[in-house]
Amino acid sequence: MNNLLSVENLTMKFGGLTAIDDLSFDAKNNQITSIIGPNGAGKTTVFNCLTGFYKPTNGQMFLHKQDSKISLRKYTDFKIAYVAKVARTFQNIRLFPAMSVLENLLVAQHNELMVASGYSLFGLLNLKTYRDKEQLAVDKAKYWLDIIGLTHRADDNAGDLPYGDQRKLEIVRAMCIEPRLLCLDEPAAGLNPKESAELNKLLKFIKIEKQTGILLIEHDMSVVMGISDHVVVLNYGKKIFEGTADQTKNSKEVIEAYLGVDE
Amino acid sequence: MEKKDIIQSFKDSLFTGLIALALFGPIVGLRTASKGEGLFITPQWGVVFLLVGLCILGRFLINLNSARKTEITFFSKFTSKFSAITRDKAKHFAITAILFAVVFPFLPFTDRYFMDVAIMILTYIMLGWGLNIVVGLAGLLDLGYVAFYAVGAYSYALIATTFGWSFWICLPLAGLFAAFFGILLGFPVLRLRGDYLAIVTLGFGEIIRIILINWYEVTNGPDGITGIPRPSFFGLPFKRSPDEGETSFHLFFNLEYSTMHRIIFLYYLILVLALITNYFTLKIRKLPVGRAWEALREDEIACKSLGVNPTNTKLTAFAIGAMFGGFAGSFFATRQAFISPESFTFIESAIIVAIVVLGGMGSQTGVVLASIFLIGITEMFRDLEQYRMIAFGGAMVLIMVFKPKGILANRKPTILMHGDKK
Repeated sequence: MNNLLSVENLTMKFGGLTAIDDLSFDAKNNQITSIIGPNGAGKTTVFNCLTGFYKPTNGQMFLHKQDSKISLRKYTDFKIAYVAKVARTFQNIRLFPAMSVLENLLVAQHNELMVASGYSLFGLLNLKTYRDKEQLAVDKAKYWLDIIGLTHRADDNAGDLPYGDQRKLEIVRAMCIEPRLLCLDEPAAGLNPKESAELNKLLKFIKIEKQTGILLIEHDMSVVMGISDHVVVLNYGKKIFEGTADQTKNSKEVIEAYLGVDE
Repeated sequence: MEKKDIIQSFKDSLFTGLIALALFGPIVGLRTASKGEGLFITPQWGVVFLLVGLCILGRFLINLNSARKTEITFFSKFTSKFSAITRDKAKHFAITAILFAVVFPFLPFTDRYFMDVAIMILTYIMLGWGLNIVVGLAGLLDLGYVAFYAVGAYSYALIATTFGWSFWICLPLAGLFAAFFGILLGFPVLRLRGDYLAIVTLGFGEIIRIILINWYEVTNGPDGITGIPRPSFFGLPFKRSPDEGETSFHLFFNLEYSTMHRIIFLYYLILVLALITNYFTLKIRKLPVGRAWEALREDEIACKSLGVNPTNTKLTAFAIGAMFGGFAGSFFATRQAFISPESFTFIESAIIVAIVVLGGMGSQTGVVLASIFLIGITEMFRDLEQYRMIAFGGAMVLIMVFKPKGILANRKPTILMHGDKK
């Protein structure tokens, strides 16, 4: 199977603190790659480097297309999502709480709609071409809402949804930009067992049906072990283990990192 | 209520009285009056005791009311009923309001003074709607909005007096100039949010005013620009005796000459301009760029993660908001026929921001109500001279106490999947 993302010798320093130290790993197409590790291991920093929020001190990150590869370092800020099609969610949910669920999903399709609306000109003239495109965007939103079962709440404010639904909404909002790589930062945090089971189902659906590579940071081991194809374990910014879920469970280094070493 | 509570609230009121005494004692109690060769202090303790007494009584009543664990129902009931009407029957409400605005000049009680106030209120409504794009939708607190108003007014005045072009050519040019200045301000403040943005925009407003005062060669400094051409009714000027080869409005329509014609024309002009602003805002809110503005207000980081370009989004908000400020400025210049930097002080910005915030951020109807309320009240108390600002402040306090989110704070989604449910 093809590589989707390769991270090579990634290093991120904040002053004297080395948050990520010479990290290299690959993520494959149509696979769920989990990054786990104790608190403060540098998992979210990896995400912030990948999605352009931080500029890494050193190292390269490549996103592979059929034959070519693009360097994520070149893109900053919104261009990661716009050009490189890397989408992400956040540890603390970042929806647009005062906007409706449907509007949240339409903002995710902003760039296509902006072109369709002739940078607002066609939209102001209310041309049919724009209205048709907008209908398509609504249909896409409805498609995703059907999947997570929130269609009936499409017109409610996103901030009024229960916590678990907000999590799912944030994931499908990220999917609305049609990403090639989806980075999820602790999607199961604060979910009850039933909700995390639903989350597993959703992620598997995205992986298989949408052919999207998923990069997952997670503490909830039932999620990690249940759906990961590949696990990367970090501790103090260094990769200490890499392998399948089963291998990880039995790895001495991983157990030591989480539980400490016997005296 | 228990006895303990009453004693407690009585103590509290007495304490309030003490504070009031400390404040009013020196400020109100010791009045300096000039008699002959110097200033003398005339005490007026009676007024002080009256004020302190009022404070104690007021505080006691507030305490009694909060002990009842229910709000003062009258005001909030009234306003919530009102916001329910404006929400559920938004269309009817808007049509009624516009119809009223259209027939207003011909109502029996409407005189010159009423028209002037109405024009002023409409100008503020237009400014409020323009600023609503920046503050209400995009969430960028702009305390220097008057700068664009000034740029619009001065561009109009300078173009019209230098080249002698008609109002309808100068108006869009002035709007463009203001939009350009909007982008100019937008660039340095792209990274700022909240308090920091507010301070920089406030500074920008002052910079423009100070340039207007000091750039004597162009702006004529503090003397201002005089003789700005009045607008004409499609080429028909409002003059008693038109120049050679010209027909004026009253001659063309065979009417008795009256200065009211021009006032009524100006009224309709600003009404149309304001309605255009409103229509444009309502339209653009439903377009991707409008949604991006609101998304930016809600969460900038999430916007970036979805590929929304925050730079362009903010700049368009600044530019479009500034453009409408510029239109309003041109109107102001043509109405007054004289402008000077004095008309564009910080207090104007503050009033416009107050209108937007008190109206309920992002609410178009709210802006109308807040303008009528704030400008109307200040005008109503004009006889009180300097004390009318107390009325202005009082109106603000009332709204903030009873409607902390603004008079009308309900937001309607820009697009619905299931249609309007009643």
